[in-house]
Amino acid sequence: MFYVDLAVSGVVFGCMYALMAVGLTLVYGLLRILHIAHAAVFALGAYVTVLVANVSGSILLGFVAAIAVTPLCGIAIYRILYQPLLHYRPDVPMIASIGLLVFMQDGFRILFGEQGVTFVKNPLAIESVDVAGITLTFAQLAVLVVTLLIFVALHLFTTRTRIGVAWRATVSNPSMAASFGVDAIRVRYLNFGIGSALAGVAGGLIALLNNFVDPTIGYVVSYKALAIIVLGGLGSVRGTLVASLFLALVESYGTIFIGSYLNRDAIAFLALILVLMARPQGFTGVRTA
Amino acid sequence: MLSFARGLLGAFAFFVSQAALADVKIGFQAPLTGLAATDGKSAKAAAEIAIDDLNAGGGVLGQKLELITYDDQAKSDQAIFTANKLIGDDDVKFAISGSYSAAGRAAAPIFQNAGVVFISAYGVHPDITKAGDYCFRLVRLGPPQGRAAAFFIAESLKLKKASVISMDNDYGEATLQGFLGDVDKYGIKVVNKYNYSLQDRQFGPIVAGVKRDEPEVIYATGYFFTAGPLVAQLRAGGVKAPIVGSQAFDSGKFIDIAGAAAEGVYIVDGFDRYRKDPKLEHFTAEFQKRAGYPPEGVAAEVYSSFDILVDAMKRAGSLEPAKVRDALAATKDFPMLNETLIGFNKLHEVIMPASVDVVKDGKFVHFSTIEDKKVLAPPEQ
Repeated sequence: MFYVDLAVSGVVFGCMYALMAVGLTLVYGLLRILHIAHAAVFALGAYVTVLVANVSGSILLGFVAAIAVTPLCGIAIYRILYQPLLHYRPDVPMIASIGLLVFMQDGFRILFGEQGVTFVKNPLAIESVDVAGITLTFAQLAVLVVTLLIFVALHLFTTRTRIGVAWRATVSNPSMAASFGVDAIRVRYLNFGIGSALAGVAGGLIALLNNFVDPTIGYVVSYKALAIIVLGGLGSVRGTLVASLFLALVESYGTIFIGSYLNRDAIAFLALILVLMARPQGFTGVRTA
Repeated sequence: MLSFARGLLGAFAFFVSQAALADVKIGFQAPLTGLAATDGKSAKAAAEIAIDDLNAGGGVLGQKLELITYDDQAKSDQAIFTANKLIGDDDVKFAISGSYSAAGRAAAPIFQNAGVVFISAYGVHPDITKAGDYCFRLVRLGPPQGRAAAFFIAESLKLKKASVISMDNDYGEATLQGFLGDVDKYGIKVVNKYNYSLQDRQFGPIVAGVKRDEPEVIYATGYFFTAGPLVAQLRAGGVKAPIVGSQAFDSGKFIDIAGAAAEGVYIVDGFDRYRKDPKLEHFTAEFQKRAGYPPEGVAAEVYSSFDILVDAMKRAGSLEPAKVRDALAATKDFPMLNETLIGFNKLHEVIMPASVDVVKDGKFVHFSTIEDKKVLAPPEQ
C-alpha cells in the first residue's frame, strides 16, 4: 500500500512537471531559446486562478481565466523579449529570460503581497475519495484527469488538424514548412500560446493542490523544468513526458529512502546527472556527437 | 563686536544642542524580499509600530528614536553587508535582527566586534548569542523548544509513538535536536524521521510514509507556508493522529491554508494572542491596520525587542552601548507581548514560560503553559 501511495504521489508530481515542462520544450524546439521566464507564466496562472476564483466564487472560472491570460502573457514575452533578440547567440535571450523571471517574481510580491494568496473555499485539497483502495484528494484526481485530457487533446490536435500538423512541421523543419506556405510567425504565437496555457493550467492545479500561492512558487519549477527537458531530449514532447514521470517517481521514492541524507531537489539532480552520463542526449534525443 | 560674538556664541550653542538632541538610531535587518518575505513584512510592520509607540511615549532620555531598516533577504551575505553598512555608514550603536537564523548568525559577530548591542528577535541558531556579550536573543532557542514539545507530548498528551517531520534549515534542525535529545527520557519512540526544505509544498511521499508508520502523534517543525500544505495533505491522506507543531506554525495564514485540517493542531511555544492585556490589544489593532492581517509570533517578538532595548536604555540612564548592554542583561520580569520574560541567563538567552496553543474553531486558543524550568532551560554556554 505504501509503495502504491508513493507511486500515486509520484504520478501526480509527474503530471505537474509534464504540464510545466512541455511548454518549455516546445519553445526550445521551435526557437532554440531556454524560456526560463516560463516559470513566471506558471506563477501568473496560479495567481489568476486563485484571485478570479475568490472573486467569482467559482474555481472553474478561475481556471478559465488562467487559460485566457497566460497565453497572452507568453506571446507578449515572445514579442517583447525574444523576437528582438533572435539573431543573437541563444544565451542572450536566456539571460533576458532569467532577468524577466526575477523581475516578475518580485512583481508578484509587490502586487499580491508577501503572505501569498489562498482560495477562500477549496474543498478539493482536503476532501478525498477512495479509488480502488487508494486515497486521493479531489485535487490530485483533478490533476490526473486534466493532464490526461490535455495531452490526448494535444495529440489529436497535432495529428488530426491542419494547424496542428503545420505546427509540428514547423517545429521539426522550419524552412521546409515555410516553403509549404506555413506562416512561421503564426506558428510561433501558437507555440507560445499553447505552451503558456499549459503552464497556466499547471499553476492553477498547483494552487488547488497546495491551497496556497506565494511569489516564489515559480522558483523550484524554473530550474527543475529545465532539467526535465534536458533529460527528455531537448525539443521532444514525448521525451519530456517520459522524463517528467521518471523524475517525479525518482523523487517520490528517493525522498523516502535517502531523504535523510539528500533533499528532494538533490535527489532529482543526482538522477539527472547519472542518466545524462549514460545517455547525454536524454531519453529520446538524437546523439549529435 | 560684542553683540557679534554673542550672536556667534548663541549660534554655536544652538548647533551643539541640536546635535545633542539628535535621534537615537536603531539598526534593523529583515528579509523584505526573497523566500522569507512573508515574515519580513510582519517584522517591518512590528518594528515601525514599536518605534512610533516609543516615540509617542517621549522617546528615550529626551531623544527620539529613528529606525534604519535594511533588507537582508534572510541570507548570510546580505546580513553581513547590511550589518557593515549600519555600523560604517549609519553609525548605529544598537541593532535588532528581525530575520532568520542564517542571517542573524552572520550578523552577530560583526555587531559584537563593533560593540553594538544586538538583539535577535526570532532567529534561533545557538551561535547568535555565542558571538559575544553584546548579543541577546529574545526568542526561545530551538533546542529548548524541541524539549518543550517532547515534554508536552509525554506529560500532557501522554502519547508515546511519534513520527517526526522537520524542516531542514537551522531552525528546524536545532529544534529537532532538542526534541530527539529528550525522547528517551519520556519513553517516546520515534518511529520515523522525515525532512523537507523551505520551498517544498508537496508532501506526498511524507504523507505516505506517515500513513505506514501509524504513529500516535506527529511532531512537525516548519513555517506556515509549509505547515499549511503539510497538515492539509496529512489529513486529506487519512492521517488522524494529533499533530504537534513548532512555534513557526503560529500564523493566521496557517489556518487559512489548511482550513478544516488545522483544527486540533497544537502549537508549542505559540503566541498567546488573546490575553487580556491593553498593550497587546493596542498592538494587535495597530498591526492589523498597517499590515492587513493579524499579528503572529514574529511580529510580537520584533515589537518586544525594541520595547526591551529602550527599556534597558532608560534603566541604564545612558546611551552608551556597554551600559545599555549591562542593563539589558540585568532585566527582570519584563512584560513582553508574548510572555513575561523572567530574565536572561549568562549567555543572554531568555528564561520564560512557554505557551501551548491549539487551533479551535479556526482560531488559536491558549491550551496550557509549560513552566518547567529544567525543560525550558537555555544552554549556559
